Amino acid sequence: MTTAEFGTHNWGMVVDVDKCIGCNACVIACQAENNIPINTQDRVERARSISWIRVERYWEGDFPDAKARFIPIMCQHCANAPCEPVCPVYATYHNAEGLNVQVYNRCVGTRYCANGCPYIVRFFNYWEPVWPESLRNHLNPDVTVRSRGIMEKCSFCVHRIRRESRSARSAGTEIADGAIQTACSSACPTSALNFGNFNDPNSKVSKMKEDKRHFTLLDQFGTDPNVIYLAKIDADKKVGAGEAATHG
Amino acid sequence: MQQRRELDQVYTNRKLLNGQLDTPKWWLPTVSILGVVVLIGVIVIATMINKGLGLTGLARPVYWGLFITTFVFWVGISHAGIMISAILRLTQAEWRRPVTRAAELLTVFSLLTALVFPLIHAGRPWRIAYWIMPYDVARGIYPNIRSPLIMDPVAISTYLTGSTLFLYIALIPDLGNLRDRTTGWKNAMYTVLALGWRGNPRQWKMQTVGGILLSALMLPIFVSVHSIVSWDFAIASAVEGWHSTIFAPYFVIGAVHSGVSAVVTMMALMRWLWKWDDFIRPEHFDALARLLIVVATGWLAFTFLELTFALYGQDAPEIALREMQMFQWPWNALFIVFFLTGYAIPVPMWCFKRVRTNIALMFWTSILVNVGMWLERFLIIVPGLARRTPFVYTWEAYTPSPVEWTIFIWSFAWVTFLMLLFSKFFPLVPLFEQKESQVFTDDVMIGRAKVPAIVREAD
Amino acid sequence: MASQAVAHDSEHHAPPPNVDADVVSRELVATTQSASGRFKAWVWGLGILSVAGIVALVLKFIDQGDDSTRWGYVAAMVSFLLSVAGGAPMVAMAPVMAKANWVRPITRIASLFSFAGVATLIMLIPLVAILPPLVTEGARRRTVWYMAPDYSPHFWTTLSLVLLIGTGIMLFYSAALPDFASMRDHSTGWRQRLGKRLARGWVGTDVQWRTLRMRIGMFGTFYFLILVFVNFLISTDFGQSMVPGWRDAIFPMYHTVSGFQAGVAAVVIALYFSRKYMKLEKYIHLDAFWSLGRLLFALTLLWIYFFYSSFIVFWYGRSMNDIATLDLLIKGPMIYAFFAGMILLWFVPWWILIWNKVRRGTAAMVVGSFIILIGLLIDRIRTFVPAWSVPGDQIHEKWLKVIPETVWPDIFDILIMAGGISLVAFIVMMMTRVIPVLSVWQVQEFNLLAKPIRYMKGHATLVAKPD
Ligand code: SF4
Ligand code: SF4
Repeated sequence: MTTAEFGTHNWGMVVDVDKCIGCNACVIACQAENNIPINTQDRVERARSISWIRVERYWEGDFPDAKARFIPIMCQHCANAPCEPVCPVYATYHNAEGLNVQVYNRCVGTRYCANGCPYIVRFFNYWEPVWPESLRNHLNPDVTVRSRGIMEKCSFCVHRIRRESRSARSAGTEIADGAIQTACSSACPTSALNFGNFNDPNSKVSKMKEDKRHFTLLDQFGTDPNVIYLAKIDADKKVGAGEAATHG
Repeated sequence: MQQRRELDQVYTNRKLLNGQLDTPKWWLPTVSILGVVVLIGVIVIATMINKGLGLTGLARPVYWGLFITTFVFWVGISHAGIMISAILRLTQAEWRRPVTRAAELLTVFSLLTALVFPLIHAGRPWRIAYWIMPYDVARGIYPNIRSPLIMDPVAISTYLTGSTLFLYIALIPDLGNLRDRTTGWKNAMYTVLALGWRGNPRQWKMQTVGGILLSALMLPIFVSVHSIVSWDFAIASAVEGWHSTIFAPYFVIGAVHSGVSAVVTMMALMRWLWKWDDFIRPEHFDALARLLIVVATGWLAFTFLELTFALYGQDAPEIALREMQMFQWPWNALFIVFFLTGYAIPVPMWCFKRVRTNIALMFWTSILVNVGMWLERFLIIVPGLARRTPFVYTWEAYTPSPVEWTIFIWSFAWVTFLMLLFSKFFPLVPLFEQKESQVFTDDVMIGRAKVPAIVREAD
Repeated sequence: MASQAVAHDSEHHAPPPNVDADVVSRELVATTQSASGRFKAWVWGLGILSVAGIVALVLKFIDQGDDSTRWGYVAAMVSFLLSVAGGAPMVAMAPVMAKANWVRPITRIASLFSFAGVATLIMLIPLVAILPPLVTEGARRRTVWYMAPDYSPHFWTTLSLVLLIGTGIMLFYSAALPDFASMRDHSTGWRQRLGKRLARGWVGTDVQWRTLRMRIGMFGTFYFLILVFVNFLISTDFGQSMVPGWRDAIFPMYHTVSGFQAGVAAVVIALYFSRKYMKLEKYIHLDAFWSLGRLLFALTLLWIYFFYSSFIVFWYGRSMNDIATLDLLIKGPMIYAFFAGMILLWFVPWWILIWNKVRRGTAAMVVGSFIILIGLLIDRIRTFVPAWSVPGDQIHEKWLKVIPETVWPDIFDILIMAGGISLVAFIVMMMTRVIPVLSVWQVQEFNLLAKPIRYMKGHATLVAKPD
């Protein structure tokens, strides 16, 4: 049962790797939704591009039986996040809804959190962001434009969560399962990305994460992520739970 | 043992105060050139703050680069002062005396320089208040004291305060001396600074007790500073090259290694520039080099342990990281240089007394050590971050930019500049220590041999 | 430090009397011959306990030789004895190299502990047989022997321990030559014959002295290196690598430093008893206790520093490895031992040793030393017993998934522990019958080099520093 009260949810994502076709729609959606500056060629070449979610290609198995796989990776919203205790100003911390939030106003840009994160999903704004004139009016008014010198990362589209819970609260109703969709999950054509509340045992994501294919990325770091992956199903061999996690 | 020259006090005063009472010819040109370099550095720093950290070479995943390396390097150098003054004072090593002032000075100035780096390295230096002060208390937001980055400024500022006090207390008798030898505004300045020093027994006693107390108090701070700096790295469990339990003592002993070497460099310079051959003698270099052999070898043992236990896990990422650090261009070249300069060249050389008492050789070997120690930090920090991690498509993305190099050079010019400026107003060799050591040494006859001896407290 | 010398007026620390060299040799050599009844009773008691311990060791091997999880206490004992018997001779060496005068009366007593290394070796033998091989069922566990053959830890540890004991004895012997000569000249009976045989024609020529010093320097350095190496092997192969996920680069150093700590403590205790019961107040000055106290204090601080360095990295790291390590070694089966170790090895000694008064006295120093030794034994149990209690089928995991139960000592373990400690005491006590507990020539040299003088209003010592 989901109520609209703050702190009663535990937001999370279940990513079914088997369904991911590597189309990058989520990447574009996130880019547009969250006012992320355009990744020009120069930025990409200098390894300074920003993409809160990325679709990584990785190899499974050894040559010549190697298989290319796709896996979307965004901030894992770790319950035991290595990025949090190192921030000297509490710019990144865990809120009561299971989100690892980034407070842009506090951030001084030590970039320590980025060193702590094993998934390398944190990004630094080296320059003041600029958009071409034609795109100026396309910015999302719900999302802060980050100035230079601060860190940013996937927020689980926290503005969408806020909007939905605010309207649910004022209407006196509860947030229905699936009512909140992140930009990436709503853009995904194959429903590989699923967003929902892990605190509600009946929600779609809670049921999905019971699948025996579930695993978390890089579990040796003990980060306890809120993003659960479901392993790829192989036509010729059975992949057990968690097995895919060991492949880099 | 060299024959000691009996130096009378007048000679000592005149010679050691030559920097203050008359200016050497080279002083003004040198200071001016350094001043220009410092100015350029300041302009570059200002530009960087104005334009943004895009001017550096940093890129994902190397978020820390040259600045942090240089920060660690200067914090390391700052360990010279307390090592020489406090530890050697507590262990009653006589040869420390002429070196103490210079070493403490190095501590203070290198700390001041080190402090600059984390600040300009932050994305928004103007918001630094959030970091260092409990500025937002009204809203219930404190700095995050769990973060080693909070412990850093605490430890460093404590260390800075302590060593400044330490320096000052040791300076007071000499200030009194200067006050009595100057006129005009200088006299006024020294009068204020000397705090009414007259040199009566009570004042001496207070001065000594103060020094000893501070020595004892500074020791834990000395250790904690570099330990905390090392924990900046060691606690990051996601960075294989950093997450090692040995980092704290490893960094501390490395810091002593580089700090004491820097003192040697400085002593050689002082001997040459101010012609203090009577005070900074080969036997001092000899003693420091012996100390350095021990420290360096201990440091090597820690390096070895660090490496062994990095590979101990036999995990693929660890092995890959070390392979990159040691065998992959350009890190392999740096690694070789690091090992040669940090240990393999200087230490075997120091095993010979001829080298230890040769000022020029000591000067160059001690510089080598610091090249090596800087590279050591660089090799820990940058390849540690630049490693290839699972599921990430960028790695090894870092080349320091000209802006970073300029600021790096600025830091050296700045420390030297401060030193020279200081030397204009205050003596670099403590006069009273020098005289005290003259009083304390004696000769005893054993059989027919005349053996140098030292007065010790009776047990 | 002018005022320091003056500040302490030291009536009760009167300067050492300059004793005639001949009297010194005579008196010190005489100590080997006068064994009191109490001394004999103690030696008998300790001897019996030692034998019981060795018998228990054999019985335990027969009884539980196939179950490595039961051998943690023996491993802890090996490490403890290595610390005491291996660390103590270091006390004789390190300050000599730093040319400290106070150490002169201590060198002999400290190097006598080399012989007690035999006790370590005895304990190690069954342990080597039981230590699981590096490769079981085709999987290699984490170890510092990356590619080396399977038997490496077993073989090299034993070899290096033997080497350590050998070097220790050589160190003892090369420094004892002049004293054997004194025994030859001032003793009677078998002692004189022994002195004659072992003195190897020592008359004290220049060349002989030079060789002696060179040998001490050489063996001393060598001893130090081997000691560090043995500590490294014992702590990793017999501790760390038995636990999956325990990766602690500082642990060997921690082990070494606490080994020195135990060594110094053991020397203080030995010094105290020989001073008191052999009436050597004239030769063993309070200065020695004072300096040893400072050393002990410094080592105590170093211990806590090393401990904390590793602890905080685990605590912050929070990776699965780190959590498992903390759960096993600190929070887990040995939590009480952990607290006891903390208190006895650090907190109490810290508060005892920080006082100058204490360090200048003997009684409190000896109490502090006993506390440190007990604390160290507990700390060794804390680290080694859980390490050995990890079952063999878990040893290859990436990290420890199931924290094992506390293993309590059985009757064998208790007997073995008592026996091991007794054996060390027994050997050291027996050795005092063979050679003077104080190095005669060191005492003479000390008298030569240190001259009591009056300095302004107080006493001071003029110490000559020949190069
Ligand atoms: S994935 Fe990285 S950024 Fe996100 S919570 Fe975990 S450690 Fe922090
Ligand atoms: S949840 Fe939102 S912020 Fe995070 S990756 Fe998806 S679209 Fe981007």
